[in-house]
Amino acid sequence: MKVTVERAELLKSLSHVHRVVERRNTIPILANVLIKAGKSGLELKATDLDLEVVETLPAEVKTAGSTTVPAHMIYDIVRKLPEGSQVELTSGSDRGTLAVKAGRSRFSLQTLPESDFPDLAAGELPHKFSVATSDLKRLVDKTQFAISTEETRYYLNGIYLHAVEGKPAKLRAVATDGHRLAQVEIAAPKGVTGMPGVIVPRKTVSEIQKLVEDAGEEVEIELSPAKIRFSLGKVTLTSKLIDGTFPDYGRVIPAGNDKTLVVEKADFANAVDRVSTVSSERGRAVKLSLASGKLTLSVTNPDSGSATEELEVEYSSDPLDIGFNSRYLLDIAAQIEGEKAELKLADPGSPTLLQDQDAAGALYVLMPMRV
Amino acid sequence: MIFPAPFNPFFLLEFCARLAQVFHMPVRQLSEAVINRIAAGEVVERPASVVKELVENALDAGARRIEVVLSGGGQRLIRVTDDGAGMTPQDLQLAVDRHATSKLPDDDLNSVSTLGFRGEALPSIGAVAKLSIITRTKDAANASEIVVDGGRKGAVRPAALGAGTRIEVRDLFYATPARLKFMKSERAETATAVEAVKRLALARPDVTFVIAAEDRPPITYAAQSDSAEGRLARMADVLGADLKENAIAVEGEREGVKLSGIAGLPTFSRANSLSQYFFVNGRPVRDKVLLGAVRGAYADLLHGDRHPVVALFVTLDPREVDVNVHPAKTEVRFRDSGLIRALIVRSLQDALGTGARRASTTGATRLVSFARPHRGARGHVSWRGSAASLRSGFAEAAQEAFAHFEPSADARPSFALAAPDLLDKPLGAARAQVHETYIVAQTRDGLVIVDQHAAHERLVYEKLKAAMERDGVARQILLVPAVVELGPDNAAALVERAADLAKMGLVIEAFGSGAVLVREQPALLGDTDIEALIRDLAEHMAEWDAALPLERRLLAVASSMSCHGSVRAGRRLKPDEMNALLREMETTDYAGQCNHGRPTYIELKLSDIEKLFGRR
Repeated sequence: MKVTVERAELLKSLSHVHRVVERRNTIPILANVLIKAGKSGLELKATDLDLEVVETLPAEVKTAGSTTVPAHMIYDIVRKLPEGSQVELTSGSDRGTLAVKAGRSRFSLQTLPESDFPDLAAGELPHKFSVATSDLKRLVDKTQFAISTEETRYYLNGIYLHAVEGKPAKLRAVATDGHRLAQVEIAAPKGVTGMPGVIVPRKTVSEIQKLVEDAGEEVEIELSPAKIRFSLGKVTLTSKLIDGTFPDYGRVIPAGNDKTLVVEKADFANAVDRVSTVSSERGRAVKLSLASGKLTLSVTNPDSGSATEELEVEYSSDPLDIGFNSRYLLDIAAQIEGEKAELKLADPGSPTLLQDQDAAGALYVLMPMRV
Repeated sequence: MIFPAPFNPFFLLEFCARLAQVFHMPVRQLSEAVINRIAAGEVVERPASVVKELVENALDAGARRIEVVLSGGGQRLIRVTDDGAGMTPQDLQLAVDRHATSKLPDDDLNSVSTLGFRGEALPSIGAVAKLSIITRTKDAANASEIVVDGGRKGAVRPAALGAGTRIEVRDLFYATPARLKFMKSERAETATAVEAVKRLALARPDVTFVIAAEDRPPITYAAQSDSAEGRLARMADVLGADLKENAIAVEGEREGVKLSGIAGLPTFSRANSLSQYFFVNGRPVRDKVLLGAVRGAYADLLHGDRHPVVALFVTLDPREVDVNVHPAKTEVRFRDSGLIRALIVRSLQDALGTGARRASTTGATRLVSFARPHRGARGHVSWRGSAASLRSGFAEAAQEAFAHFEPSADARPSFALAAPDLLDKPLGAARAQVHETYIVAQTRDGLVIVDQHAAHERLVYEKLKAAMERDGVARQILLVPAVVELGPDNAAALVERAADLAKMGLVIEAFGSGAVLVREQPALLGDTDIEALIRDLAEHMAEWDAALPLERRLLAVASSMSCHGSVRAGRRLKPDEMNALLREMETTDYAGQCNHGRPTYIELKLSDIEKLFGRR
């Protein structure tokens, strides 16, 4: 194999694929990136057995061929090469090394045979549709914070992506950790109907969040009950799905909450952030005292003091005292795009519904704390 | 059923016939001898249980001095001699009969105040061994003797003995050979028998005990006054002299239940729970409620596999406790076990709270014993070796010049002059910080070395704990209540304690039979594995009747928070900071050990230091 490639192009592609590779591996080949030179240019591929990222980039291929080299090391090397340089990759004569040349720098990297490299992409993915990149970004960005990190309920360790029938039909993403829930939907793209509900794992979600930044207008999605593939321009990400049943989340979304509170989102978030400064312990509650037209936020920490702040709000129901985990409130507030957030409350022991007053399609459910 | 050796075709027929015979046997009353042998299986399990029964009898007879002689691990001979009330010949005749006793005067099983009462011991022993009793009341003209041999009772004959009773048990279990097979080695049987006497000796400091066995020197526990001091003296006799310095007196009373005894310092722990002695109304017991309470009290003071040394005496109205649970009477049932548990936990915590500011003295003792044999160890440096080291030493010497470069920050240990008034404090006046990790303080009669990180971690932890107790645990309501399948018994036990769990931030309710529904969890635990927590809790609850796993998890979070929030090793402390730390340790409960049970400081007495230098 002999190939010459622009350093900037190579760096960008490597930065995409090397993230998938775990820092420590028990199987040596998983630490490597597969480099394949062919007619269409250079192809880079990395995997952790659950997730596979493949990217193609233009290159001047003199001799086709393929090999694997340590992913983090080649990324670090290319990163440190001078800007604007051309990188030449040559398989060594003994096929045990890969020579990397750029300017006056010479590197020789140990390789592992590409035949050992696992292939994840095999298998049929019968359901196919494409969504606007901005839509996909919205689906994952706004739900990602609610994914559970607790591993025994593994089926909550991802985003539940599924089609909702009706008029109009929707594509919906849901995540919950048992304390709060986020639900975001977009108009159903063509081809979505009939797709199985799938749970996209947390690591895949965070990779997609990074990859959509460099993607084009549209993202193509293919899936089967076991796998999902995102084609974002030159990058293709294939991931296994979480094999489990997502709980019937519809039951916990309250329908009859009659007390409506509308707050200026920025003021509200800042106030919550300010008063929660005095709480030290993790998970300390902030108390919301509601009266007509007025919201009082308060935190009491017997060790250090207390804080209160008053906000003018739109509220006309009966007075109510309710507590929330301040971090959860801030997480949700960060997802609200418009200026006003609407909270629908029932009582201090029941789920509260939070929504963007301007933008439909996203809703959040938060369970109160006892205060 | 015995099978005929050569197989013949009629065998099956014959077999069926015999079976029919067995099934058609009429019901009949078992003979007295067989009944006694069956009962003996429960009461007389091994030589130690015989010793226990006999010594208890002696104590019930008001003996002031009890002598126990063992031979062949107690299997060949057990002889218990006492100077108690003795028996008349008529009583003696009756005593070896089943369910005959002098100890339940008004047949009231609800208020048992003697150690024995079932009237089973003597006939049971007589059923499986050769039993001889010689006894004489104070005003009888002569002693009487009766012999029971494998259940066959002899006649009462005159014999010679001073006042009291002497009971000899020979060839134990010769009548039930099956039991013999389960005997352990002679040494092991002797050890458990001696242990049984020790337990009783702890309970009765006012009685002299003499124990003699073949393979060990005789032990004599001299009678002590029946007071707290006497009891402590007896404990030191039985449990070892270093106990005195490493234990704290425990005292407590609640609703007529009295608790007294001693608790070992957490740093004076053992690898098993054998050194835990419990007495209920003077009766040695091993009871789950009591063991569990002690575990709970020491929960965050000891590493999980260490056990404290305790001797606790519970005194309560005999009607509040049922000792008639098991023939061997090692288990009891309290009418209000929650009260007993709360009393023990609270009293232990009170005592340890102030007492555990101390660390055990064994650390310093160990240091002294380690350090001593070092004398003269350097005497053998050969001249050859020294020549070689000279050569390599040259290169090192060149390097040494660099070693003296001053670090950019002032890294010299900080010194402080001892303020005289601080010298009288328990932890003394801070004199220096060494290796940026240890504080060296001077007291009037010694030296204290403090591990600053361990000590401060404990202080922060205690503050967090106090805050948690004061403000309660914040509860996060669950969006999707979690259902945990447990099995009916565990689930019911857990639901019964729902109120206590709610105080710790866990709200559960019954969910059908055999499952619980978790509605709220401690917010502190964040995104946690509820199911594992509940299972752990249920299992622990079934065994110990305490919610330790939840408490432990909460405290583990507090513990890791305190670790992050405390002064680390490597941080330089100014003299004022060091003194402030020492003063705070003196006033903080449990400051003697870190969250993992290691000591936070060790104290070297001047005398110990003098020993190190061979001045003493």
